[in-house]
Amino acid sequence: MLKKISYAVGALALLFGLWGVYVRLFEGEQSANYGSYIGWGLWVAMYLFLAGLAAGAYMLAAFEYLFNVPHFKGTGKTMLWAALITLPAGLASIGLDLGHIDRIWKVYLQPNFTSFLAIMVWGYTIFLILIALSLYFAFKSPEKAAMKVVMWIGFVVSILVAGGVGFLLGGNAARLYWHVGLLPVQFPVFAIASGAALMLVIVGWFMPNLEEKQRSDLLWLLAVISIATSVAKLYFVVADYTQSLYGGVTDNLIAVNYVLNGPQAFTFWGVQIVLGLLIPVIVLAQPKLAKNGFVAGLMGLFLLIGYAAARLLIVVPGQVAEMMPGQAEAFVGPKLTLEYTPSLMEWSVTSAVMGFAILGILIGMDYLINRKPRSTEVKK
Amino acid sequence: MTEANLLQKYASEVFAGLVAPAAEGLEISAAPAADALAKEDVLVRMDRELKRALEKPASERRWVMVIDLRRCIGCHACTVACVAENKLPPGVVYRPVMTEEVGTYPNVTLKFLPRPCMQCEKSPCTEVCPVTATYHNEEGIVVVDYEQCIGCRACMAACPYGARTFDFGYTYTEQLPVFDGVTIGGKTAGAYEHASQEYGQAWERNGRHESPVGNVRKCHFCLHRIKDGILPACTTTCIGRATFFGDANDPDSLVTELINKPNVIRLKEELGTEPRVYYIV
Repeated sequence: MLKKISYAVGALALLFGLWGVYVRLFEGEQSANYGSYIGWGLWVAMYLFLAGLAAGAYMLAAFEYLFNVPHFKGTGKTMLWAALITLPAGLASIGLDLGHIDRIWKVYLQPNFTSFLAIMVWGYTIFLILIALSLYFAFKSPEKAAMKVVMWIGFVVSILVAGGVGFLLGGNAARLYWHVGLLPVQFPVFAIASGAALMLVIVGWFMPNLEEKQRSDLLWLLAVISIATSVAKLYFVVADYTQSLYGGVTDNLIAVNYVLNGPQAFTFWGVQIVLGLLIPVIVLAQPKLAKNGFVAGLMGLFLLIGYAAARLLIVVPGQVAEMMPGQAEAFVGPKLTLEYTPSLMEWSVTSAVMGFAILGILIGMDYLINRKPRSTEVKK
Repeated sequence: MTEANLLQKYASEVFAGLVAPAAEGLEISAAPAADALAKEDVLVRMDRELKRALEKPASERRWVMVIDLRRCIGCHACTVACVAENKLPPGVVYRPVMTEEVGTYPNVTLKFLPRPCMQCEKSPCTEVCPVTATYHNEEGIVVVDYEQCIGCRACMAACPYGARTFDFGYTYTEQLPVFDGVTIGGKTAGAYEHASQEYGQAWERNGRHESPVGNVRKCHFCLHRIKDGILPACTTTCIGRATFFGDANDPDSLVTELINKPNVIRLKEELGTEPRVYYIV
């Protein structure tokens, strides 16, 4: 039943999203609400979220193939598949954010390697190839040395690309809210946290065929990982925000107040903290509830929504402080504003990306990972 | 002290010249006023220096802009001139003038800060561009290759001065009615709106997908004018003569003279960007 609902949600999301993708591709970016002062919005945030999810899913696959953690046995392929789907979904999100997506080939053929963006495009392309290779070996010969080698390289690359995304923002010295050494450190933690949350959903809702003891043990382990990473994330946020508030540097104050008391207050307090952190942590701390597949999956979903909101609250507030005082009023024109709420078209495109990810993961699980052998194969 | 002496001592030369006819019987020479009016306009000097600089190899020029904040009256003429010169569409601005209100009533005043691109020598925007679409040309000016730019807006995030804006494809006339031969509006205005000669090239503006639509845009010191020996539009339009432009590698140029004074600053120098725009304060 849950799977059917998830298929339906994925299909509806994709259907609604096709409108946004059409508008974006054929009518341009005017109906998006990001502009010249807040140039990166929802799609960049979702790129960070989905790319982090892919890195996290890969890290968790390593728990089976590299670290041989018994609880994770039989889940590696699914997590590799999830990584193979969520990474292109993230890249689609950032791709549609480009003014000239038709020129993306230039990043490969004419790259500027002083640009961290170029490095990340290359890094994610290598990561995508490594995920595909890992999945190939997971099907063909998971025990062979080649699999271990690829997984080790992939594991290291997953940490680097996750941290690299933090650097992509943090490297901008002019943006004080981003320009903290902690940012690239946080992102690999975010990645493993979101990977664990995704696995809670997958194992809790879509893997009833795991042996009961293993399933409940795995759910409990994932709950512990989720609680630990959530607390770590909370610590990062508290450290970051209290330091900014205490330091009192104007740009930081503007950004932090924008999150805590400003237009994004509900997204922070309601979605990121209460829905995405407090409720899941409290529920998952109860072993009985954490081992319940439905509850664990639901908490995983809440955690994922919270992590997605957290990405938005990293990307947008970093741009709300004027680079020059009086900039926003100096010249009037469309998209010369410091206010940002994603437009319907932006939500629609994100919906398409999410729909693709949901359907991609489910279809892969049903027809690739958990495919029942055909009768002819059984005879063999 | 006589009234004439007072005038000569305290009033400006021009003012003294103006009131002279009214001051019956006073002996005031018209010569000082005539001298003042005969003084060379800085534009003439900068124009001459520009032509001199263009005789040198491009790599030996160091274009800088100097803005005298004491002279800026916040008229926004430079902003408008820039928009007109580069046919900037709605939402794209190269040289806004920031206005800051200082003090509390009744002791209130306004301060103005024109902000072109700083043409930083160590520019964060060029470093982050994934495809080298924005770079220093041989004269050191930060330019954008519209045909190379992928529109990722990383340079916008990196610029500490907010000097870059994104072209979303708006036009000033797209909402206007179209009556053939009667009113220019909508698509028929295209000829005006795509007449831009930025970087010495005509830029078509026929759709929402062709560059410079979908690109990040910025001030380039009117390179297309400089090439032809004409000062940037903001400089020639400044009614207060608050904007100066020239070659800082020329020891005799006006800009060299100005930037060597002690009351000169550059914005956000602590970031190490080495801007080529100087402010006299």
